[in-house]
Amino acid sequence: MRKEESNSFIKELRKALSVFISMAPLLLGVIGLVGIMQTYITADMMASIFGWGVIGDTFIGAFVGAISSGNPTVSYLVGGELLEEGVSLYAVTAFILSWVTLGIIQLPAESEVFGFRFTLYRNLLALISTIVIAIATVITVGIIKL
Amino acid sequence: MKNIKFKGVKFFAVVLFLYITLFIINGEQTFSALQTSALIIIKLLPIFVVVILFTAIINFFLKPEHISRHLGKNSGSKGWLYALLGGILSHGPMYVWYPMFVDMKQHGLKNSLIAVFFYSRAIKLPLLPLLIDYFGLIFTVVLSFYILIGAIVQGYAIEHIEAAN
Repeated sequence: MRKEESNSFIKELRKALSVFISMAPLLLGVIGLVGIMQTYITADMMASIFGWGVIGDTFIGAFVGAISSGNPTVSYLVGGELLEEGVSLYAVTAFILSWVTLGIIQLPAESEVFGFRFTLYRNLLALISTIVIAIATVITVGIIKL
Repeated sequence: MKNIKFKGVKFFAVVLFLYITLFIINGEQTFSALQTSALIIIKLLPIFVVVILFTAIINFFLKPEHISRHLGKNSGSKGWLYALLGGILSHGPMYVWYPMFVDMKQHGLKNSLIAVFFYSRAIKLPLLPLLIDYFGLIFTVVLSFYILIGAIVQGYAIEHIEAAN
């Protein structure tokens, strides 16, 4: 890398760092909320709210996944536990999907970064997709296994 | 870096207030929440470094006109493919990628591709073996296929909604 290029890259690095620093309060706020959710909401609390039929549980699964946060591995573990406790695969699929794609905790941050309208549309579309995909996946897997 | 305009200061203040309130109600559990948050920050530090480096590399090699051409209004199917692949390969929580998108949006990145990126993140390549172990191979393949379709549908929907507005 020539000296000019090297200087130019350092300039870009500084720019990227300053964008990142400018967003530090937003990121720290989200992480702080994640900490509260992970501490105050347990897997038992989650399992107790299911039991409303396939459609109802799929909605609940998507909602619980959306308010939860953390490593996706945890969603598989909790999903496995929920299955063992008799929660339907529809609900568990919606749960593990919305865990990664939806984030009620990060809504204020997403809205500040991308604008309220985009955030609203994206999250509504993601919620609808999650429910449709959860139902379609379980039905398709059922058909394939027949 | 002298004139940094902080984003989300009010949001951070609300979270801080929430912590103070919860600490008064249940000090022990709130301290545990604070510890959890600190652990999350430590875990995310390498990803933050990757995101900063990635943003700098993108801006160094791809000038605004390149980003606009590959990921902007007239990017075509190439843009969709990049967004899908980027989402699948991306690591860490959604919010760590916000700074990169803030920067890329200023250079012409279109919103529909952000939606595609965020939804295709549901496919986690390193975690596929674990998903297979828990839910089976057929389930994993079918779910991944539908996630890709779902991501593309969402991108198109965002594009149409924005065009209609």
